[in-house]
Amino acid sequence: MKTLYKKELNYYLNNPIGYIVVILFAIFANFLFVKDLFLVGSASMKSFFSLLPWLFLVFVPALAMRILSEEKRVNTIETLLTLPVSETQIVLAKFFTLLTLLIVALLLTTALPISLSILTRMYLSEIAVGYLGAVFLGSSFIALAMFFSVQTKNQVVAFLLAALTTFFLLVLSTDFTASVLPKTLQDFFSYFSPSYHLQNFIKGLIDFRSTLYFLSLTALFLFLTIVDLEKRK
Amino acid sequence: MISSRGVTKKFKDKIAVDNVSFQFKEGEIIGFVGPNGAGKTTTMRLFLGYLWPTTGQISIDGLNPISNRIEVLKKIGYLPENNPLYQEMRVKEYLQFIAEAKEDQNFSKIISQVGLEEVLNSKIEELSRGFKQRVGLAAAIIGDPQILILDEPTSGLDPIEQDKIKKLIKGLKKTIIFSTHILSEVEDVAGRIVIINQGKIVYDGKKPKGKGTVEKLFKRLIK
Repeated sequence: MKTLYKKELNYYLNNPIGYIVVILFAIFANFLFVKDLFLVGSASMKSFFSLLPWLFLVFVPALAMRILSEEKRVNTIETLLTLPVSETQIVLAKFFTLLTLLIVALLLTTALPISLSILTRMYLSEIAVGYLGAVFLGSSFIALAMFFSVQTKNQVVAFLLAALTTFFLLVLSTDFTASVLPKTLQDFFSYFSPSYHLQNFIKGLIDFRSTLYFLSLTALFLFLTIVDLEKRK
Repeated sequence: MISSRGVTKKFKDKIAVDNVSFQFKEGEIIGFVGPNGAGKTTTMRLFLGYLWPTTGQISIDGLNPISNRIEVLKKIGYLPENNPLYQEMRVKEYLQFIAEAKEDQNFSKIISQVGLEEVLNSKIEELSRGFKQRVGLAAAIIGDPQILILDEPTSGLDPIEQDKIKKLIKGLKKTIIFSTHILSEVEDVAGRIVIINQGKIVYDGKKPKGKGTVEKLFKRLIK
């Protein structure tokens, strides 16, 4: 798996697409933080973390759209699947590559809270838990985007399907859904929304149920991706 | 070494391979010929477990390519049709990747055997078709597999490059199954010929002796 991981990571390191997507994310994310700092006058990271799922909605599918669809389009998937490596190794290597890039992108946003913590009082442990939640959230979005990437040879279709599904998952816990649906249904649906579970991490709580939710979502879509790759038509 | 018993492969309603049975022995060089869409690539993919047969059984050295996929793939070196390569990689980087995946680090001999020394640091996308084919062939040979499956290894190459690849194949002391449209190539390289048409084996036997005899046989069987 190390070999496959190295190969995937090298693709992004030797290709401008990885840098562009990661840097664009970092610019937008830092802007969100600075905006609150100067406009609202708040040195809290809560609104930054709350908006993160919406940034991931574009960032993760943009990063992951090619991961399997491109292999299918140029048929290098045949090269991969005729090497003595398992489908699980292939999927996990690709997943951890994308997770590494997501962590790098998140690390690029840590400079501001760290420098601000020197000037003002900030709860660094709370922020660290927020970042942990962001990693969990990102990993579930990556798994979901990979699942759509294995479904098609077209990167754009993979991007749109992943972004659309993520959008619907996020919308489940918004005020809009609350105003449309009855309270019981709203409670039920919001439990399935990643934003709902991220709230616990934003508050600085490592909630077991929310951790389990993100890990389950990640495992489910990785499993479905592996099953799809194992299918021999 | 390789056996197929009553193998049929259907894609929805279309039968790509129809009740195919044969046995290939160790050290044989088999020329797999047939018109476009005859089922050559599908049959080769079935050997590798890349496709699953609809009915029938395939065995590679006594192993099932589906349930023992990894073990079977350790025994086979494969050059797919159209030679899909990671174009953005450098030749050395690509071969290193294949070698690590096959857990065989000793591939320097293969580089000189295939004649890739001068392009080792070039990007694959910058290579000529002939060199790309050599990269694909080197990747197939890495890991010292017992069996080589080469799907149209000389496709799209000029006659000089074709000769080089043919010489290379002949020099490899392995069980080799190669598909081609070039019948003279079969005459030069293969010891046994399998002709497939519309998914069915229409000829399986020794290569007929004499120049042009393979073409005559092919034209007689494929109308």
